[in-house]
Amino acid sequence: MSDTITTDTADSADAEAEPRNALGTGLGRQLKLLSLWHLVGAAVSVVGILLARRGGDIELPWMPRYALQGFFSFAFVAHMASAYGIGARARWVRPLSLAVNYLLTLVAAAATLHLFNAFRALGDLGEGLYKAFIPFGVICVGLLWVLLSGQMLTNRPTAVGPQRLRTAGWSVAGLASVWFVLKADPSGLILSIGDSLTRPLALGAIALTVGAALATRLMWSRAAAKHFGSTRATDEALSGLAFLSPNLLGFLIFFAFPLLFSLWVSFFDWDTTNTTRDFIGLENYIRALSIDFAHSSQSNSGTEVLKGGYQVLANLDWFGQHWVIGARDVEFWLSLKNIMVFLLLAVPLAVLPALVLSSVLASKLPGMKIFRTIYFIPSVAGVIGVAIVWGQMFDATIGWINYLLDLLGVSEAGQGQGWLTQPDTALLAMVIVFAWMSFGFNTVLYLAGHQAIPKELYEAAEIDGANTWQIFRRITVPQLRNTTFYVVITTSILALQLFDIVWILARPIAGGPNFATQTPVLTLYQEAFTNNRQGYASSLAWVLFIIIFSFTSFQFRRQRDEATSGGVS
Amino acid sequence: MLLPDDVDVSDESLPLFTFPDSSTRFALVDNDISVAEFRPLDDIDRIIRLDVSSGDKTGDVVTIDGDEEDVFAIEVDGTTIEAYRSRLTSGGRFVSLDDPADERVELVNLVEPVQQFGPRLENFEEVLIDKNLGRSLTNTVLVTIVVVSGQIVTSILGGYAFARIKFKGRGPLFLLYLGSVMVPFVVLIIPLFQLMLQVGWLDNLSALIIPFMFSAYGTFLMRQFFISIPVEIEEAALLDNASRWKILWRIMVPLARPAIATLATFGFLYAWNSFFWPLVIINSGNPDGRVLSLALSTLGGRSSTDLNLVFAGAMIAMTPPILVFLFAQRYFVENSASSGLK
Repeated sequence: MSDTITTDTADSADAEAEPRNALGTGLGRQLKLLSLWHLVGAAVSVVGILLARRGGDIELPWMPRYALQGFFSFAFVAHMASAYGIGARARWVRPLSLAVNYLLTLVAAAATLHLFNAFRALGDLGEGLYKAFIPFGVICVGLLWVLLSGQMLTNRPTAVGPQRLRTAGWSVAGLASVWFVLKADPSGLILSIGDSLTRPLALGAIALTVGAALATRLMWSRAAAKHFGSTRATDEALSGLAFLSPNLLGFLIFFAFPLLFSLWVSFFDWDTTNTTRDFIGLENYIRALSIDFAHSSQSNSGTEVLKGGYQVLANLDWFGQHWVIGARDVEFWLSLKNIMVFLLLAVPLAVLPALVLSSVLASKLPGMKIFRTIYFIPSVAGVIGVAIVWGQMFDATIGWINYLLDLLGVSEAGQGQGWLTQPDTALLAMVIVFAWMSFGFNTVLYLAGHQAIPKELYEAAEIDGANTWQIFRRITVPQLRNTTFYVVITTSILALQLFDIVWILARPIAGGPNFATQTPVLTLYQEAFTNNRQGYASSLAWVLFIIIFSFTSFQFRRQRDEATSGGVS
Repeated sequence: MLLPDDVDVSDESLPLFTFPDSSTRFALVDNDISVAEFRPLDDIDRIIRLDVSSGDKTGDVVTIDGDEEDVFAIEVDGTTIEAYRSRLTSGGRFVSLDDPADERVELVNLVEPVQQFGPRLENFEEVLIDKNLGRSLTNTVLVTIVVVSGQIVTSILGGYAFARIKFKGRGPLFLLYLGSVMVPFVVLIIPLFQLMLQVGWLDNLSALIIPFMFSAYGTFLMRQFFISIPVEIEEAALLDNASRWKILWRIMVPLARPAIATLATFGFLYAWNSFFWPLVIINSGNPDGRVLSLALSTLGGRSSTDLNLVFAGAMIAMTPPILVFLFAQRYFVENSASSGLK
């Protein structure tokens, strides 16, 4: 990495002109080699396309197949053009050659790692780490030691003690590393590497990686930049892209592509194993969102009054009139209803106490910092652990909540409420857990908001003889308007994606009892991974995305308005 | 937690129980033994449970509800009575702690376990080794370390490029990065799952690591920090002919330590606590691929019985993020707070 991105500015001091001319003849030879490499690269690209297309047992799944074919097609054209351009000393050849060689390096390196089973070996690394956890701990301690002594060194650069400490830290870490390797026993790994080394494809991938890396390095050099008359702006752009490239490639592969792919899949009848894949247009969306209202002469009518394929979602009685609401996907609509109820209950419960508590904590009492820390902990502790603890508390027979209610005389011993098993309280229990987890975080956000309120406002109010409630109502709340907005929106976005808490707490199955805690994300998960309807699940994801996006864009628009109107930045 | 109080009887820790007619405690010395249920002929509603080998057939036969049953002579409280054997079942053998001669056979679910509050450190050992949570713990550690280091490196590089190096398309690209923060992860689950399936990373830690080594949020964070560093510092170094690579690592990164600490904290909490994605990816029965959150949800799921172990597991899962938060809270709280105002 460091070699490929070392240098840029081509037009540095002219005093170096003499040696560069001498280097020029060497460069000429190297560039001839580079042209040759590009011709080889073009040939390799053709082989690559053919290899990617091959069928039978070793047929690649379609995603890597298309990706490799696309890449090698590009590489073929780019290699041919580069081979020509180097001879013609064209200005455009350097970026093109760099791009194709750099990408080829990465693709070939990834292929090498894949052929050497390095990615699957990550799982074995977990095994090794388990076997050698104690040496690993010692390595960590050693590195921490180095870090701390480094900190001491920056404070007192000449001190001898910290320097010795640092050396000692390094040696501890080094010795522990040897111990780690012995304990983790990498013999299996070494054997499998030796095994792969005999395969021609693996050797070819290594050769390609090294060749492309060398070609990239040569083209990147200052001499080559000078030779092809690279401008300063081009140089800067190239180094910018080089710095960004690892990040950008990850962004494209693991964000941009999946996002578009998800949209595409949502127009298909598509199952997990790819045996079915029919384009059905908007049918998934229509199915998800279809809803039917029917008037009925009697209460509690069933599907008979609805259109075919619809199931009863709800029965309504309005002023003696009976209405039936039906939907094609009742589960999804139920989950939408649940999440709206959840949102309406959980957001106020997560925000209002935070607002009040932050006002108490904002007063400069001693020990404030400790409270800040304590309130923050629920939101960092991890939802699974927290939900499990709450699950015990909500338990009907051994739960603490029923036990407390017994003590208070609210309920009879042994006759406690089955919080999680009753449809009317299950969602409420989730609301409580969610609010508990987010309210501390919100409190801290509010505390930050408090710091931005001008102290003069409070002083003036006190002089006017306002009482605590008036101050809170007339100064604190309006002044915290922006924070409240932000807190409400972010909490809502989190609430709309409720999944983990339900997964742990719902009984007897996720979404239960009787769909009382069915949430959109849970429906999506079940459709995609239980019913294997990935196309339909993708359309649900996009419906959910649009709902969430309406909240997010609200927030973004407001932020932009504030930024342009010179609000809080 | 309510725990059966364990005592050491011949170097083995045994669960304790009480019988309604005795004030002393009994240790369950033998579980799952065959138990015979006898009913005395003079009081056939009474049930006497004894070891299956006890009682001798007298040779007589008695008819109960139309069935012929052998009559046994059994010894109860020193007297011999006649009874028939109504069924065979399995139960436990209990020995009184005060009087080793007082030995009883009873169904385990019919006696009251002795419950007592008390610390029991063995829970951690049990949950880590017997319940295989140790393996999940190391997986989580591995995933977290690689994800956090990867995010730091890619975010530093990307953030620096966005902050300081001019290239075509930088503005729109950065807007794309910003916009990506608005996309909820659920939209990406299915396509990412397909991608992992096709690359062959299903059920593998790679799927938990590689896609998460890149963070748009982290890039944004680092970019904001780099922009706040005065350009003059860098320009001086550029004039000295230092490469951008050197400037970044020698000058910018040491200055950016607070931002890196923030990024590392967020990355740690995210990677350590993530649940949905591992649930999707590590879905086969292979417990060796599990991460901590997943193993914990299986252990503490709806049908869990060993609450003490579940809670020990929850403690193990919750302690590291809390510790990291305590150490890094300065960065963490400040950053969460300032994002609330931006």
